[in-house]
Amino acid sequence: MQVIKFEFLKLLKKSRGWLGPILVFILIMVAYPLTVEVSDVELSQSFFSILWIAALLVIMLATEDIFLEDFNDGTLEQYAILQKNLSFIIGSKVFVYWLVIGVPISIIGTIFCVGTTSQTAFGYQILPVLLVSTYIFMNVFSFGNALSLTKGSVLGTLVTLPLLLPLLIILGKVVVAINFDLNYSGFLLLLLGILSIIIMIIPMIISYIIRAHLE
Amino acid sequence: MFQVNRAYPYIFYLSLITYLLSIFWGLFLTPEDFVQGNSYRIIYLHVPASFISQSLYLAMAIASAVYLIWKVKLSVYLVRSIAPIGAVTTFIALISGSIWGIPTWGTWWAWDARIVSTLILFIMYLGLISLHDSFNNNEKADKFLSILVLVGSVNIPIIKMSVEWWSTLHQPASITLSEKPAIDLVMLYPLFGSIIGFTGLITCLVILSSKLQIIKREKNKSWVKDYV
Repeated sequence: MQVIKFEFLKLLKKSRGWLGPILVFILIMVAYPLTVEVSDVELSQSFFSILWIAALLVIMLATEDIFLEDFNDGTLEQYAILQKNLSFIIGSKVFVYWLVIGVPISIIGTIFCVGTTSQTAFGYQILPVLLVSTYIFMNVFSFGNALSLTKGSVLGTLVTLPLLLPLLIILGKVVVAINFDLNYSGFLLLLLGILSIIIMIIPMIISYIIRAHLE
Repeated sequence: MFQVNRAYPYIFYLSLITYLLSIFWGLFLTPEDFVQGNSYRIIYLHVPASFISQSLYLAMAIASAVYLIWKVKLSVYLVRSIAPIGAVTTFIALISGSIWGIPTWGTWWAWDARIVSTLILFIMYLGLISLHDSFNNNEKADKFLSILVLVGSVNIPIIKMSVEWWSTLHQPASITLSEKPAIDLVMLYPLFGSIIGFTGLITCLVILSSKLQIIKREKNKSWVKDYV
């Protein structure tokens, strides 16, 4: 709890870190209708693909320097020396990032979804999917950025983005299910299952990587 | 020094002969396909290449696990030397599939699960190479490379099962271990021959490339000076 509170305050102080990605997300959501010839049907059809890609890119931006600052000022080294579980600390760090960036993005995305498709029912259905998928994105991109900690975030994105493409296929299936009013809870459970595996494994891998960086 | 040197010519010539014979058999001696005509004959390149591209990744995953668990340095040299070869075979599989797609599906490319996951495999191979090359510290690079290979291996079952989990344009596997093959025996024998021959040829390439890798990485050791 102490760790979560500490990370939370640290992230809130750095407004560029959390406000920036959210604003970029809003800007993308506002800007894309300009590129579509305005007719409501086309807009709502292409909305979901823009939504997933925007969420993906914004989370990529947000996790860009998730470990870099702590690595440079030695915080991570202190964490690693501590007898506490490093992977727990990293897990809570990712959780805080999701709480401060992922959750607002999901809510804003839901609002835009209701606004664009003008169907309130879509909103209820899309919100849990967005919440879960942003958390998965957050974890995977943190893994990539831990890999390329001192080498810039392009490399980390390059190696982890391919891993997320199967997830995008699942998200596309969710949209089809929602559009045709089918039962989409199976996909939601699948996403939750992926998330539960990722939550356990990724912090362990990241802590292993960070220890290797500190050697 | 290298025990493999003695076996190498046998593997090379045997697999070359096997591959050329089965290609000849497949191209000239098998009958035309009822539906696809002559275009199906690209199968003797496409299937071996896709098979090899996935098997190489599996081999890399096993080798990286060996490296991470037992710290066997040679295995990570193997991983690094397989990566470019895997990229090339995946590229061959993609290109030949795309050429095959024109007469049968009427399109070069489809956003279909099998094709996309193979493309992901290709990008993964390139990402692995660029990750390894971006670190000056070799030991660190080896560690990260093997972690990434292990994490990326989630893609392999996705590729394998993609034709069954999703309803795709790509056909499901014609040859399985448990069932009777869905392909006629006349076409099956040369296909097996080409898979075996291609595997042997790629194995030779892997042997050469890993020899190069070992010499490159151990170039400061005295045995390398004696060997070269």
